[in-house]
Amino acid sequence: MDYDNKTLWRDILESVRVSVSPAIFSTWFSQTHLMGLNKEKERFVASVGCNSPYVKTTIESRYFGLLQDALVSFLGKPCDLVFSVKQDPIKSTDAGILATPLFEEEKGDEGFASSLRKARIRPALTFENFAVSSSNQMAWAAAEAVVKTPGSAYNPLFVWGGVGVGKTHLMNAVGVAMIRKDSGAKVLFCTGEEFTNDIVEGIRNKTTQSFRDKYRRLNTLVVDDIQFIAGKDAVQEEFFHTFNAVTNAGGQVILASDRPPSEISKLEERLKSRFEAGLIVDISAPDFELRCAILQIKAKERGVELPMNIVQMVAGNIDSARKLEGFLVRLSSEARLRNSEINEELVGSLLGKRGEENGQPIKASPADVVNSVAKYYSLGKRSLLGASRARPVARPRQILMYLLRTQLQLPLVEVGRLVGGRDHTTVMHAVEKISFLLSNDVQIRQDILGIKNSL
Amino acid sequence: MKLEVLQENLNKALVSASRFVSPKAQLPVLGNILLKATKTKLIVASTNLEISVASSIGAQVKEEGEITVPARSITEIVANLLPGSMSISSEKEQLKIESQSSTLVLSGMNSADFPSVPQKIEVARAVPFPKEPFLNALGQVLFSTSIDETRPVLTGALMIFASGKLTLVATDGFRLSQKKISLPGKLNSRVIIPKTALIECLRLAPEEQEILFDYKEKENQIVFGFSDTVLSSRVLEGDFPDFEKIMPKQSSLSLELDKEDFLRAVKLASVFARDSANIVKLSIGKNSVEVLAESSQAGNQKTQVEAKTEGPGLEIAFNYRFLEELLHAIKGETLRVELSSPGSPGVFKDASDPDFIHLIMPVRVQS
Repeated sequence: MDYDNKTLWRDILESVRVSVSPAIFSTWFSQTHLMGLNKEKERFVASVGCNSPYVKTTIESRYFGLLQDALVSFLGKPCDLVFSVKQDPIKSTDAGILATPLFEEEKGDEGFASSLRKARIRPALTFENFAVSSSNQMAWAAAEAVVKTPGSAYNPLFVWGGVGVGKTHLMNAVGVAMIRKDSGAKVLFCTGEEFTNDIVEGIRNKTTQSFRDKYRRLNTLVVDDIQFIAGKDAVQEEFFHTFNAVTNAGGQVILASDRPPSEISKLEERLKSRFEAGLIVDISAPDFELRCAILQIKAKERGVELPMNIVQMVAGNIDSARKLEGFLVRLSSEARLRNSEINEELVGSLLGKRGEENGQPIKASPADVVNSVAKYYSLGKRSLLGASRARPVARPRQILMYLLRTQLQLPLVEVGRLVGGRDHTTVMHAVEKISFLLSNDVQIRQDILGIKNSL
Repeated sequence: MKLEVLQENLNKALVSASRFVSPKAQLPVLGNILLKATKTKLIVASTNLEISVASSIGAQVKEEGEITVPARSITEIVANLLPGSMSISSEKEQLKIESQSSTLVLSGMNSADFPSVPQKIEVARAVPFPKEPFLNALGQVLFSTSIDETRPVLTGALMIFASGKLTLVATDGFRLSQKKISLPGKLNSRVIIPKTALIECLRLAPEEQEILFDYKEKENQIVFGFSDTVLSSRVLEGDFPDFEKIMPKQSSLSLELDKEDFLRAVKLASVFARDSANIVKLSIGKNSVEVLAESSQAGNQKTQVEAKTEGPGLEIAFNYRFLEELLHAIKGETLRVELSSPGSPGVFKDASDPDFIHLIMPVRVQS
């Protein structure tokens, strides 16, 4: 068939148009469409949809022959017609899209979404997908308390910790929860840098008043990376006044930084003392169990199914939450690309290559690595690189190969040569073995961390 | 065709038929009303290709036949004739009407082009509707339908037949009415019926004894049968918004107030609300509700209405038209309101009628 249904029907209607009056055509025929055309042996069966029952009965009783003749002459084969009442799907889908937008719940959601947008809060970071373990439990409990009684529980709440430990997520979650509680709440999430830029712009355009209106009337002010305002006198002064205005009006201030207030150099004393007046909590790097939980949450968000052993394998080998997410992306796209399912083999092969993507290999010579492994396990270099295959020697040797391979990105053959002239397949086995062990052996994880630190 | 009929009967049938004539139709026959004489009845039918109505009225038929005549002319003619018997006869495409003192000849058209219109309801498969509850339900639901033609499904009311109940739902995207009535039977389906058809149902039904309903799924058509009138309509295709999902499951604040008092307060507030986007604020405190409205030009007002409240106070704003229309639709004396936040829909119930629920989306006001 050279025709698709739509053009075929258009052509047929054009030919019908010649034989009926324009009024009849526009009243009856323009209300029809071709829903399907089936070939059964030597006949065609065309199912014709009509917009209303009246159209159907009229066409069926009066213009059946006309349509059939037209179809037969177009298709060149005998043809049967079946009529039914059905709206043109093309037209009705258009209407369907229009039909939804202002339905109540979406409207409510939109209000929620728009207040989130206004507050510059990312809706995806909530308490629900924030995993809690011992490393961040204190900070999480404090944040929950702040949501319950804003302005009085801990004011300000000062959260500090290294990169990728979840400070921003936690602060965002507070913002989302506050807006969920009251979508009219005036919450603003900004970074120290945005705050600075706003002041600079205010000074430049002589609109400091509008700047003050924007910040000083907030119920909740959330500032990420507050350390950036250190050393900027005018900004610090403005922040000082903003801080006072917000807290005096019973508002809540939440701050995050990469170090505690006492260690932020060039931070004015009066700010430092104010920050220290509230609760200062730190979040440390996620431990293994938390990483597992984070990975599971992220995997669920992306709709990837990860069995527990893979979760442990990945979480054991990757130590920051952001890298976990990156690895997950890589894993799912790799699995899609290779059209295979996610299994230990795939994870192992990706973990082996990880070094080249995180871009921060340890800057040490292979000899340094050999030395530190030997030192860490109190083994002689000779026995470490020697021929003994006893477990107390072989395991450190495998760790050494793992480190040389993943941290220094040496070729397999080169690693084999360094470790006492071994075959490259031995190296491959060692890397796989250690990758696997990392997922369920706490001792090995600590050992590797210790060796890395000593490098 | 040749027959004698009473002017009163014919007039009534013509009036309801003339509502479903499309005067601007490209096809002239659609601007006409069909008159068809059967053995004992005269059938008066019209359609605008969405809805059709056919009434059969008793007549003394001497000769069967059918003709279509322009709707406006025939309605006006018959309306102006004296009550009593009149004779109608057709010859070719002309209709001759003889009343006590007048004789008229009206040019019509052949009925062959007139679309076929359901003139009978299949009593065997039709479902009888309980008249009073059904008409009440229509009155409580239909005002919530949308008039916005860009969202066709919202211009109709959804009827859900399930487990011995008929649920009627209508919404325009800002408010929603739902009413359940019991309807014995095993019918199990969902259908969206255009508002116009249901309004006509409301007009026709009060004088009738029974309402029969038939849904022809294959034809996408519904038919209402009254004792001598058959109303049929096309069904609106499309997905009705998932209204069950938005029914609030819980509320933080509930109050009960006297309907009349509240209606008076809302009407009072509307004087000023009209100037300010129809917004009426409700400030709910302990055992009272303050109804406030202000207009920057006209002034402002505040009315206190006694109420039984449970839960913390709240300020919430509504479009007064929605409140007013709702209060007119409620039959009982006490209104129950359940609220949870200024941004989520308010639930309104009739304290004496557990089967009716109405939701109104509040207006967001910048404080």
